[in-house]
Amino acid sequence: MIKVNNISKSFGAIKALKDVSFTIKEAEIFGLLGPNGAGKSTTINILNTLLQPDKGEIIIDGLPNKEERKLNIGMVPQEIALYEDLSAYDNLLFWGSLYNIHKDELKKRILEALKLVGLLDRKNDRIKTYSGGMKRRINIASSILHKPKILLMDEPTVGVDPQSRNHVFEVIEKLNSEGMTIIYTTHYMEEAERLCDTIAIIDLGTIVALGTFQELKKVSNATDLLSIKLADLKPILETDIFKKIPSLKLNNSTNTLEVACENISSEISIIINKIQNAGGVIKSIDTQTANLESVFLKLTGKQLRD
Amino acid sequence: MYKLFKKDLKLFLRDKRSVFLTFLLPILLISLFAFAFGGIGNSTNSAKPIALLVADVDQTPKSKKLISKLDSLDGLRLILSDLKKSKTQVRKGKYAAVLVIHKGYKDSLFARKNPPVELWYDEAKEMEIGMLQHALISTLMSEIGKQNAQQNIKTYLNKQFPAMDSNLRNTILEDAVKNNENNKASFSSKSVLKLTSISGDTKENRNLGLIQAVSGTAILMLLFSVAGLGTSILEEKENGTIKRLLFSPIKGSTILYGKMLFAFFIAVVQLTTMFLFSWVAFSLDLSMNIPALILMILATSFAVSSFGIFLAAISKTRKQAESLSTLIILVMSAVGGSMIPLFIMPVIMQKIAVFSLNYWGIQGFYDIFWRALPLVDILPRIGVLVGIGLFMTLISMQFFKRNILKLI
Repeated sequence: MIKVNNISKSFGAIKALKDVSFTIKEAEIFGLLGPNGAGKSTTINILNTLLQPDKGEIIIDGLPNKEERKLNIGMVPQEIALYEDLSAYDNLLFWGSLYNIHKDELKKRILEALKLVGLLDRKNDRIKTYSGGMKRRINIASSILHKPKILLMDEPTVGVDPQSRNHVFEVIEKLNSEGMTIIYTTHYMEEAERLCDTIAIIDLGTIVALGTFQELKKVSNATDLLSIKLADLKPILETDIFKKIPSLKLNNSTNTLEVACENISSEISIIINKIQNAGGVIKSIDTQTANLESVFLKLTGKQLRD
Repeated sequence: MYKLFKKDLKLFLRDKRSVFLTFLLPILLISLFAFAFGGIGNSTNSAKPIALLVADVDQTPKSKKLISKLDSLDGLRLILSDLKKSKTQVRKGKYAAVLVIHKGYKDSLFARKNPPVELWYDEAKEMEIGMLQHALISTLMSEIGKQNAQQNIKTYLNKQFPAMDSNLRNTILEDAVKNNENNKASFSSKSVLKLTSISGDTKENRNLGLIQAVSGTAILMLLFSVAGLGTSILEEKENGTIKRLLFSPIKGSTILYGKMLFAFFIAVVQLTTMFLFSWVAFSLDLSMNIPALILMILATSFAVSSFGIFLAAISKTRKQAESLSTLIILVMSAVGGSMIPLFIMPVIMQKIAVFSLNYWGIQGFYDIFWRALPLVDILPRIGVLVGIGLFMTLISMQFFKRNILKLI
């Protein structure tokens, strides 16, 4: 278990973190979600001992000091920190050798890591011949050779094509299924939604909300949205439909009714029945479930990519 | 078009580095080379007296008179010394030459023979020797010519007018000598002053130009290649691998020492290759003093690699390091004797040269290949190179922490 207690960090006049606290359970995927400059990388760099907090402390079970933490924490940096003119195998050999792993064991682990990221057949090719997504996968492989208990991933999918992104997700899920605790920073909502057991939304150096996606949704009052386009709005306006569906709103310009739902899947059929009974002729239906984007908007009042 | 021109001019003037490289650097280099070749500041340089050791073995009033006359010359600063000591000092390159007045100098004047006066010199100080030669021969010829004329007239008067009054004879003699002072025609400059190079015992096998070319070029190229290796630290900082190294269990200082070790290794291999090539292609005799050569290669490589790392450590970006390296290396090499041999530079430039790394390296190789000094005499230069290396490493470590390891 990792306990982050009231950590603060400033760089000159800039307060990067202000009394940040959270707890990460063993073998969970913990997401740190926030826009650029929110404090995600600072938090990660404090966790990996590269930075010291000005205030507060971090307690990691079984890893009491810096040396232990360095040996048991893996770090996937935001940059593709690899030697472009070396092959993937030679890169892994170099990065793995920094952890004093026996040569034969290291060679075995390199092959395992390459297999895990799906690049075993390209092991002898120079990194500069790889695509961006492939480089990202080697970036991950380089960080797991010492079999860390905790893996910190700082926006590991920036600039990656969808296919490679899926491959990265599969790798993360595989590592997590083997018991590795993963701390994952991103500003992609869908990544956090798909991967993370717990999400901390961080903005301007402060944790704005913390919990599972469902918990965040509840806390933020973010709702699903059902949009129903009618042939004509007139007939329905003459009924008591607004009493029957209190959250209903009209969009006259598009002849559309918009209904906010707590759970769209259980409410959709009831709402459609009520509209049809009121004489509405439905032309099309569109659903929009609440996501982290809307949760973030509700909690911070701004778009995540602002 | 004018707007574009104006915009570019503004951008150019705001980039202080570009302005410096475009105008100030060429001006600096032109001044440096002009100064080195003696194109400017001649009056100042000629006012500086050249130090000349004098070993008076003859120890007669005549030899002392010669010394006194030489001492009165503006361009010379005489240092009396004994023969053995002065020879060692010239061989070590501390002084350009020693004027040896051998036993029999006085007698040779009376016997009208060639005087046993010899200039033992270091061939690596060609410019100073040229100036010394001129001053010495002129004085010597004047001295010998006077003595010779006196002797001739005295003999003539004794023979033709044996009964002449001694006062009248002396007056005639003095006037005649005075009128005859410029009569030096009967002596050639070669017979007046014997020139002997004492730069080593087997000089016929050595070629000063080759030694200068090899050592000067080797150190210049070494500086450029090691500076390139040094800037790779900044490249690693920019692509994030330094940061990744810091996540690992290795320490920040280990990263610096690792880079230094690599730069040192490359420097050793490069210097060794250059000397081996000189041996194969130009028959440079590497076997003259192998232990000294090995130590000099190691010390020079250490100093140069530390310097390369130092350049990277004091820079914040790779571009900054590249332009800084070019500037410092060019200036240091011009001053230190890599581009122009030190012995043809004015004395003042030779004094400034000690502040460059090139100087210590080149002089060390001169000591081995030209002066043929034993290892013990080369050790001080090796010590200076190691000292430069250690000093640069210490400073680099401080800057490395501030500029390279400060990632956030």
